Amino acid sequence: MSQKEAQNMQLIQELEIEMMADMYNRLTAACHKKCIPPVYNDAEIAKGEAVCIDRCVAKFLDIHERIGKKLGQLSMQDEALLKK
Amino acid sequence: MSVPLPPGTGIENIDVEQIKTFKDFLISYNKLTELCFADCVSDFTSRNVKGKEDKCALNCLEKFLKVNQRISQRFQEFQVLANESAIAAAQKMEKGAS
Repeated sequence: MSQKEAQNMQLIQELEIEMMADMYNRLTAACHKKCIPPVYNDAEIAKGEAVCIDRCVAKFLDIHERIGKKLGQLSMQDEALLKK
Repeated sequence: MSVPLPPGTGIENIDVEQIKTFKDFLISYNKLTELCFADCVSDFTSRNVKGKEDKCALNCLEKFLKVNQRISQRFQEFQVLANESAIAAAQKMEKGAS
């Protein structure tokens, strides 16, 4: 592999990690907002809140994947159209 | 403001990684302040922080950390699953090719 290729690989990997971190931060913010009501009488996570968080993480990642797939499809279609 | 510097730092030998960690810490510190202030303080008839507001903010902080911990656990579980299925798919492809 040429040096240029290796460099680009590293850049892409760094970008992937950065985007993953960004997605993670957004997930944290979204699930906190959806599952933790703004009343802090207690510092413990309530049972219902815990269940909500678990489902929220699962759903967020599921939606992330679905949107990724659809986005991939759409961009493939676009490319195919452009080639015509 | 007293902010804990990452452990083991003489200012002359901090590496890029540590600075990034420190930056992430500061960002979450700011976010936390924003969130807990918004949720706990709404009475501006006095400039003093009330006992209730203080307790609320500290509970908010503690709960925030616990929630983050739980989310990170769940996230990791999904990562492991995704990795396993990616490896399985790659192996299947290899078998199909050979």
